[in-house]
Amino acid sequence: MKDKQNNCDCRENLDRIAREEKTWQENLVDKRVQRFNLEKSPTSFYTPNATQNFDFLEKVGFPGQYPFTAGNTPFDFAKANEKLAAQMNFRPDWGGTRGVGKYGGFGTAADYRDYLKRMHSMGRFGGPNMAFDLVTQCGYDSDSPMGEGEVGRVGVAVDSFRDFCVIYEPYTGDLEIDKVPSNFTINAPCAIIIAMYAELARSRGIAPAVLRGTPQNDILKEFIARGTYIYPAGPSLRLFRDTLEFMRKHMPLLNVNSIGGYHIREAGATRSQDLAFSLANAAAYIREGVNAGLDPNDFLTKFTFNAFGGSMEIYKEIAFHRASRRMYARMLKEEFGVTNPKAMTIRQPITAHIGCSSTTLQRTLNNWARAMVGGVAAGMTGSLPGVFPPWDEPLGLGHSQEAVQMQLDATRILMHETGLTDVCDPWAGSYFMESLTDELEADALAEMEKIQGMGGAVAAIENGYMPKAVAKSAYEKQKRIESQEDLVVGVNCYTGEHEIDVTINREVEATYDPALMASCEERQKATLQELKRSRDGKTALSLLSTLRTHARDESKNLMPDICECVKNDCTLQEVCDVFREVFGEAQPVKL
Amino acid sequence: MNNKKIRVLIAKPGLDGHERGARIIAYGLRDAGFEVIYTGLRQSPEQIVSAALQEDVDVIGLSILSGAHLSLTKKVVDQLKSNDAEDILLVVGGVVPEQDVASLKEMGVAGVFTAGTSVSQVAQFISEQVNA
Repeated sequence: MKDKQNNCDCRENLDRIAREEKTWQENLVDKRVQRFNLEKSPTSFYTPNATQNFDFLEKVGFPGQYPFTAGNTPFDFAKANEKLAAQMNFRPDWGGTRGVGKYGGFGTAADYRDYLKRMHSMGRFGGPNMAFDLVTQCGYDSDSPMGEGEVGRVGVAVDSFRDFCVIYEPYTGDLEIDKVPSNFTINAPCAIIIAMYAELARSRGIAPAVLRGTPQNDILKEFIARGTYIYPAGPSLRLFRDTLEFMRKHMPLLNVNSIGGYHIREAGATRSQDLAFSLANAAAYIREGVNAGLDPNDFLTKFTFNAFGGSMEIYKEIAFHRASRRMYARMLKEEFGVTNPKAMTIRQPITAHIGCSSTTLQRTLNNWARAMVGGVAAGMTGSLPGVFPPWDEPLGLGHSQEAVQMQLDATRILMHETGLTDVCDPWAGSYFMESLTDELEADALAEMEKIQGMGGAVAAIENGYMPKAVAKSAYEKQKRIESQEDLVVGVNCYTGEHEIDVTINREVEATYDPALMASCEERQKATLQELKRSRDGKTALSLLSTLRTHARDESKNLMPDICECVKNDCTLQEVCDVFREVFGEAQPVKL
Repeated sequence: MNNKKIRVLIAKPGLDGHERGARIIAYGLRDAGFEVIYTGLRQSPEQIVSAALQEDVDVIGLSILSGAHLSLTKKVVDQLKSNDAEDILLVVGGVVPEQDVASLKEMGVAGVFTAGTSVSQVAQFISEQVNA
């Protein structure tokens, strides 16, 4: 009887623990603090008193059940087939079976097509996972003076539907677009790319309804981080609404968006800012859909997130993912009345990771060790223990095949040799982790309330609050690094002359051909010129004029017009210019 | 010892939206006692040089992470030349592969700062160069 009482969480027992803790603190901790001449203890220890009145079902629940703190599912497809994959020597082409290939893109449409062909010859059969060049992302054509020097550089140049079709030339037969998905990392001109994808299917006699993939389509975070906005936030949201309606009606298998907490963190946001800003953005998208008369129980099943978060602080990242799942599910239930459990999860390719900004140029190979830590955190938060990014991330665009191999193997080692992912949410019930999760949730909720008080995400973008807050946090972080409060190995500590910079060879074969990069701007411009010469200019002009008229009517969905425009060889910039004229342009945020 | 505050224009040429570095440098140099003007994103070389002249700056710091550093910097250099403003110190920060650092310096860039550089290093470099 006595033993039973000692083991329970009853008041009497908690009081006893509190008394014991106080004695321990005085007799042990304080004495060591004194002995080592410290101001306070460099470690902490948590007891049941850290999570008093902890309601397990309310706070955690079961994996795959509301509030999803413990995970989206008890196990997913990859986990179910983990052993088989190893025995079959399966090589996930980044996205897994019939998934997308590795994120990338460069040069002209033909250059990228040839690159994809080469990937196919190496057994990488994933669908196109397109990086677009900045010219395309900012809504310009390759012949715009705004784009000089940037054509085909950070991604592929797409000026027209013809370019888009060229990229897809290798995707026929077994790799036909009704079998292989695509990803499009583009935001401001996303409606145009979605229209091109639909028109590509139609031109091949395939119903857009069977197309799969993920357009990023997350314009709001561009104003907070990443910076490829074109129009002000308000009209940008209207374009989002148009894509949402169009996709639910004509492309129901396509994911609607990939909401980026990742970019916000990389731009310098704190953990609670990242969480609050991303969820505030998500709420703005959902509200837009609801106002358009769509059912969130339906369309939210196609919302995705882009690897939320990212830092080396492993405990905090685990808490972050637990808190984010709970907060998102609660927001959907309480604010939007969502009841469909499939609509309530944060769907993302991996969960925790270190964030690319944690990698260092100094002693670059160390990034492999860093990324491994992220893989462990991912494995403990309900996803594939994805080791990300490849160690050569800070060396410039185009990861080497070697670095990708090491990344892949690191993930496999965590999957098959450690048992890391054999337990769902291994931290559930930990006094420390539960209190950390609560703390982060409270901070993020306070930040969200602040944004709500301003009138929501669009208002907090327009008044500069979110972008400026991120910039300030980035500067605070930099100050901590410069004062050695935060330590980064090889950067602000352990930089003595006896340290060795370990290097390994990187093959050039798979990264982007520098000769092609050097000539792509001229070649892409020539193709564009040829398009403008050979198309039916009259039809193009008249379609653009119709688009302009319809753009002025907020109630009109512009997707059918955009489809007509791209099909008839209007260029990407011509469509964007119509919107620039009607919607205006967003102004850059000063400090 | 020159008591006049050193004036710096931090600029984002081209379409690159990675602002973290530029903003950190702007805040950091300001705290280090410089007068700092930040252009915001997507400025053309013409806009940058015209802002530099208008603000009468001693230094232009370009932040480029898109890989377009060679062509964009060249254009800024050309603009400075045609405006007789080559006395303005030009520095570049961002993702710049080692082999391009020499090319930038040949163009007339005084200093190139890549990942892991501290703001204090940049501040010290600028002070030394401007007061030299």
